[in-house]
Amino acid sequence: MAVAVSKGLARVKEIYQDRPRRVKELKAQGKKVIGYQCVYPTLEMLTAFDLVPYRILGDMQEPITKADACLPTVVCPFIRSCLDLGLKGRYDFLDGVVFSHVCDVGEKTAHIWRIYLSPAYCHFIDVPHTTHKAALEQLKEQLKEFRKTLEELTGKKLNEAKFREAIEAHNRQRALVQALYELRKPDPPLITGTETIQVLMALMSLPVEEGTQLLEEVLAEVKERKPPAKKMARVLLWGSIIDNVALVEMIESLDANIVIDDTCVGTRAYFGHVARTDDPLDGLVDYYLVQIKCPRTFRETNTGALKKDYYTDLENRFGYLKEYAEQWHANGVILQSMKYCDIHGYEVPSMKDYLDHVGLPNVYLEHDYNKSALAPLRTRVQAFLEVIG
Amino acid sequence: MVAVGNDRKAINRLQAMYGFRALVEDRYKRAIEASQSGQPIAWAMINWWAGDAILNTMDVVTVYPENYGVVCAATGSAQTFLARAEAEGYPAHLCGYARNCLGYAASMKAYGGIPPDAPMGGMAAPTLLLGSGGICDARYKWFQAMARYLDAPVWTLEMPHPGVHESLQPGAYEQNISFIVHELREFVAFLERLLGKKMDWDRLDETVTDMLETNRLWHEIMALRRARPCPAHSRDIWTCLGAILTPASDAKAALKLFHSLHDEIKHRVDNGIGAVPNEKYRLVFAELPIWHNLRFFDALAERGWSFVFESWAYHPPKPQDLSKVSDPLERIARHNYQWVTGYYTGAAAAGEWWGYFAYPYLELVRDYRCDGAFLHSVLSCRAGSTHLLHVRDSLMEKLKVPSLLVDGDMVDTKLFNAEDTLRCAETFEETMTHYREMRQKEGREW
Amino acid sequence: MTKVVIVDDAGQVVSRVISYTGAEHRHLANKVMEEALAQANVPFADLTYIVATGYGRLNVPFADRQITELTCHARGVFSFCPTVKTAIDIGGQDAKGMKISNGRLLDFVMNDKCAAGTGRFLEVIAETLGFTLDDLGEVSLKSTQKISISSICTVFAQQEVVSRLSEGIAVSDIVAGIHDAIASRVARMVQRLKVEPEVVFTGGVARNIGVVKALEDNLGMKVFIPGNPSLTGALGAALLGKELVHKAAARGEILPTKERRLGEATFFQTVGNQ
Repeated sequence: MAVAVSKGLARVKEIYQDRPRRVKELKAQGKKVIGYQCVYPTLEMLTAFDLVPYRILGDMQEPITKADACLPTVVCPFIRSCLDLGLKGRYDFLDGVVFSHVCDVGEKTAHIWRIYLSPAYCHFIDVPHTTHKAALEQLKEQLKEFRKTLEELTGKKLNEAKFREAIEAHNRQRALVQALYELRKPDPPLITGTETIQVLMALMSLPVEEGTQLLEEVLAEVKERKPPAKKMARVLLWGSIIDNVALVEMIESLDANIVIDDTCVGTRAYFGHVARTDDPLDGLVDYYLVQIKCPRTFRETNTGALKKDYYTDLENRFGYLKEYAEQWHANGVILQSMKYCDIHGYEVPSMKDYLDHVGLPNVYLEHDYNKSALAPLRTRVQAFLEVIG
Repeated sequence: MVAVGNDRKAINRLQAMYGFRALVEDRYKRAIEASQSGQPIAWAMINWWAGDAILNTMDVVTVYPENYGVVCAATGSAQTFLARAEAEGYPAHLCGYARNCLGYAASMKAYGGIPPDAPMGGMAAPTLLLGSGGICDARYKWFQAMARYLDAPVWTLEMPHPGVHESLQPGAYEQNISFIVHELREFVAFLERLLGKKMDWDRLDETVTDMLETNRLWHEIMALRRARPCPAHSRDIWTCLGAILTPASDAKAALKLFHSLHDEIKHRVDNGIGAVPNEKYRLVFAELPIWHNLRFFDALAERGWSFVFESWAYHPPKPQDLSKVSDPLERIARHNYQWVTGYYTGAAAAGEWWGYFAYPYLELVRDYRCDGAFLHSVLSCRAGSTHLLHVRDSLMEKLKVPSLLVDGDMVDTKLFNAEDTLRCAETFEETMTHYREMRQKEGREW
Repeated sequence: MTKVVIVDDAGQVVSRVISYTGAEHRHLANKVMEEALAQANVPFADLTYIVATGYGRLNVPFADRQITELTCHARGVFSFCPTVKTAIDIGGQDAKGMKISNGRLLDFVMNDKCAAGTGRFLEVIAETLGFTLDDLGEVSLKSTQKISISSICTVFAQQEVVSRLSEGIAVSDIVAGIHDAIASRVARMVQRLKVEPEVVFTGGVARNIGVVKALEDNLGMKVFIPGNPSLTGALGAALLGKELVHKAAARGEILPTKERRLGEATFFQTVGNQ
């Protein structure tokens, strides 16, 4: 066994640079590693079966060369990048993959992955798009199906006690991420947006207990060290996935710190809590379908309401952003989405209406998920900072 | 727009189609009358026959904004609404139908009623919006976004879309049916609360019976198109698509129309009459039609191109015997589920894992003896474009049938270049001929 | 184009220079600055504060501060039109819309990705038709029935223009169609800001009377064209620089500045990243 030398943020950076390194070691020791796409596959279930969940992410610095043969260029470049890495063999170490109907293109990629990469284990969870009662039941049934396939894969039954332990383990990790976010409330924040993304990407590359231990080290280290520089703007960052530090680094190279986010390598993946329920699946269904705030779910606080008033509707949909801004003292919101992301694209005009309504200055950036194409965005961000400064 | 083709009738059009078109036009009129008399109006997504019969039985007049996108594109009014949506801040890559509708709704709000130049007299303001969780993301996000302009409540009707492998697991079929049934029950309960009246289950039962009979007929009609020469061109189907995809909104009238359509096509088949007099090439079209330039297909028909079927989702699900199922909601559910998963058994047998969108073309191209596929890749539609490269590859690999991949849009005229496409089409004829010879050499059936 | 504007303590322009931008920004920045100093007849050391703006703002070795072209434009426009609420700028590489209140930038939109909404589009078309850029505007005024350009992309629009010419359509009608294409594109973008008068239109393209009229048609309101529209950003930068100095002075501070030296800058020198 290699000697583990680095700790805390230093180890985070190492993992960020070479995400699969640790799970490849674990694989060599006989562990099975399961890749998952987006935040909807049930990590708790994988952990309970002693499988290592590993999030499939893209690489905005790597030109897409192979995926264009089977996925047209008019789809989300993040997913094209994930598939491209898969086709280049970068995910060959995975023992299996789990996809979900996170969005249309996410679903289609599941089929493509199965066809073109022939994974030994592959499962697709058909996650509904509403929080209707029938939809919650449907997801529960879907999770039972998922469990069955994992029982076949591992040759063992799901152990109820281990399942509950796994749920607690992931809850504990989420709670610690929330504690890490607490450290972004002071001015200046004790940890930058850039570092936060690195930490979360490291967590998405490790078994839960190991990730939690690393997180504890990071928390201790960050509390001890000298805080980063104070900046004029405290920014709330919203939108489609950010799985590379480039965009955040660009923003933080200007007079701004990202102090809170609504993205899925961010709060969306960690700000919930799975309730302890008689049937553990009920808690999971509530977490995945009701609590996670990706716009792919048509969340209604009052399902089937007979009257609709625009600003009440906006409050229901986006009210949590106002709370984020208040609690983290954000004085500006940067909305961003990569091109061809439909679920975020439809959201933008209403989102801007809401933020204007509650008096939060905002700017919308559309980008190509390409590091070299970030330069023009710099002008927009800087101009926005001049507007709010 | 650069017009291609002329007014010569290269396609022998079906008379029965005009009745369908009249039905669609009539719906817009009825909705406006309804708005004056206080009768409820729904704007609904095409819902694969899940919600229409229910709305109809609850006396809701339904118009379909996707169809209105077609109307606006075909009448040249779409560009104004698209520009409006862009000015409202909706990104240009979003669904063309959706942007057209958002532009329309924005204009409606600004004008305080139906904008004066709206084609077909416009869509009357809705009492409710019925979105759909099935087939594409636009179909629930778009209606959610419409809250910006309309105060009508939205119901999103869920629809499962399992993978082939997952759908064939023991118990999965019944479980998905039960999901749809529950979902429909919630929808009915919502409508009862919204409209303050109870569902008439007997009437619903009758409507569903008509609807399923319509499907049986439709399936028969489509099978007739396998004849050589093909008796019905895609253009005819497109003309009436608005009514064909939503018969339960006018169940009795639609059933009558399907009968007349069946008779007319049957007559053509019996007498060897083709839609394209000199049928040289049989093609399939996927997915979203070039609504703003349908005359383009006349130009192709002049060259002997016959479009013998179109877009798997515009194709009727394989009929099932549901006579023993007493609950009308369950019959709707089984029919609706069949739409998505009806090809899955065949797909699994063929080792194909993209059971809807992609695999149906393998079956249909073989059944309809196609020489080529015209694949319309649409910048503004993920669902209608994601699978096209795979369709192209598998048609070639498994059936030796070539594809012509064309960029365009169903609504936006600015994304389609007719002259270029026609030039490519001419070259593509040689490709189709080449592969036809190759198939013959290999001893294939066509 | 690289531009320099020097203002005096009262905000009066004492020097303005415009020069073509080459590949080596920094070298040029030095040269243009020398010219401007000569025109104003002041030594470099006498410049109190230097603000760089625009795409090359990070490549001006002697600048004391970088401010985006959006904020600078807003300030520049305000200096000659104090009632401005909306500013539209179409230059060679980009188009932008700005919402302004009392000279302050409130919101903005911009297109710098696609040539079709910028002056570059007109350059390509002018070349295709054999006109100079400056003549396009006059030509379009003779149009009796402008055509509609259906292509979204510069290259396709160029092909479309060629094919319409071969159909025998009058050049003036084609040019008018081109002007409408760019104006409607920019109008759709700017309308996201909820355009309010007074609208000021600047940038090189604002010299084209055809585009001005087309933009007015598309927006449904008059637009105001300042006398020297292409210097607006530089003027705004100079005025903002002056104000920064005055504000600092009011607080009893002196703003730190770079050394006033016009030596040859080395390529690896980092600027604006203090």
